[in-house]
Amino acid sequence: MNDYKAIMIGGSAGSFQVVTRIIAALPANYPLPILMCLHRLKHIRSGFVEALSIKSKLPIIEPHDKEPLKAGRIYLAPANYHMYIELGNRFSLSTEDVVNHSRPSIDLSFFSASYNFKRKLVGIILSGANKDGALGLKSVTDNGGLTIVQDPKECQVPTMTTASMNATKVDYVFSTKQIIDFLLKLA
Amino acid sequence: MVDNIGIVDTRNIISAVTDTYGIDLSDYTFTILKRRLIHAINTFGSHSADDFADKIRKKAITADDFIYTVSLEVTEFFRDPSLWRELRDRYIPEICRATDSRIWLPCVTSGDELFSLAIVLNEAGFQGKTKIDAFCPSHKHVELVKKGGNYDQKKIEVSEANYTRYVGKTQFASYYTLNDNRAEMKPSLLNNVSIDVQSDILNATVTKKYKMVIYRNKLLQFNIPLYDKVIRKLVDSLEIGGYLVIGNMETLEYSEASKKLQIVNANEKIYKKRVD
Repeated sequence: MNDYKAIMIGGSAGSFQVVTRIIAALPANYPLPILMCLHRLKHIRSGFVEALSIKSKLPIIEPHDKEPLKAGRIYLAPANYHMYIELGNRFSLSTEDVVNHSRPSIDLSFFSASYNFKRKLVGIILSGANKDGALGLKSVTDNGGLTIVQDPKECQVPTMTTASMNATKVDYVFSTKQIIDFLLKLA
Repeated sequence: MVDNIGIVDTRNIISAVTDTYGIDLSDYTFTILKRRLIHAINTFGSHSADDFADKIRKKAITADDFIYTVSLEVTEFFRDPSLWRELRDRYIPEICRATDSRIWLPCVTSGDELFSLAIVLNEAGFQGKTKIDAFCPSHKHVELVKKGGNYDQKKIEVSEANYTRYVGKTQFASYYTLNDNRAEMKPSLLNNVSIDVQSDILNATVTKKYKMVIYRNKLLQFNIPLYDKVIRKLVDSLEIGGYLVIGNMETLEYSEASKKLQIVNANEKIYKKRVD
């Protein structure tokens, strides 16, 4: 249970309140890095980190290209870049074309993180209005990691979680509270 | 259709490319290179990474076609509109008032940034007074850019919105013509632009130093050792007081050469050269 090296969260429409609840519940000494790829407006570069930071006890950072990944931080994929994790635990960013109408694309972030962390990654998909993230969560399963989706019954928009459940056999279907309890147990 | 390749596949292709074309991709960012190679494998109709490496070794794919296909396009004109506004209103007038001012774009692929810059110069009133040197990684890129590019409807729509946020002085549509729903930029925008082929920036010959170098989101594709060499080349090519512009989520902090620069606009990642 304590073998995990990172947690990656993907979300889109309807995920902001859920993410806010999750990060508000994490203590200041939470030991694992949390990587968040959330769909956002391409042309608005600032404001998102500030909004998420209001209730967070952990620093929330939009990583620069080549920045080393550190524990105890929450990383948010920056606007208009895809966010990858390279072998050696550094971020890389990319301006490749949109995937699933999205940049950052949740699938692409999950592909690289699952390739890097293999079974030591926890992948979580939250509420969202398209299928971006479904194949990414499948790649977490394929690499031996642990997968969670927010219960579609609780999601404001269940398209993303339903697509994820159709793409792979997920380990847990959790409410927001259960996701929080699970993450706290990992600490 | 190949949708994934592993690290061994990637290394095999890198070896084939080095042996056949003399191009060293070994210090490129793994995830980005891997995705570009998958794109190339599918573009050239190969059924596997081995088949693709074999095609390269048999020279069934020319070096120029390979570079053209693997290179990343810029996906929109006026990406980060606030940067282009800053350039138009502050930095371009400053550098262009000097005689013989020159700007270098060391890596032009789809042409979006070159045409964005040409429009900025035009709207700032310096088009005839400032020379742009643009290097493209392949002959195919040069051909494409010289005829005004070839842009689809999606890119034009995104670019129109960016141009509006940049607060352009006219309509973006006045800078292109439409043929079969594809846009070509007007060739007159390139009146003071020289376009040459240079696939490796480290081999570029810089005879006279530049007042500005624009190299946005290109450092993303390099691992730190190669990134460091490229930054040194960029800094060396600038005159003292000249500006280097990189992407807003790029950083120079992992290169010693950055000590020769000072940041003058942190949001838009504009650096000024302090010392040689």
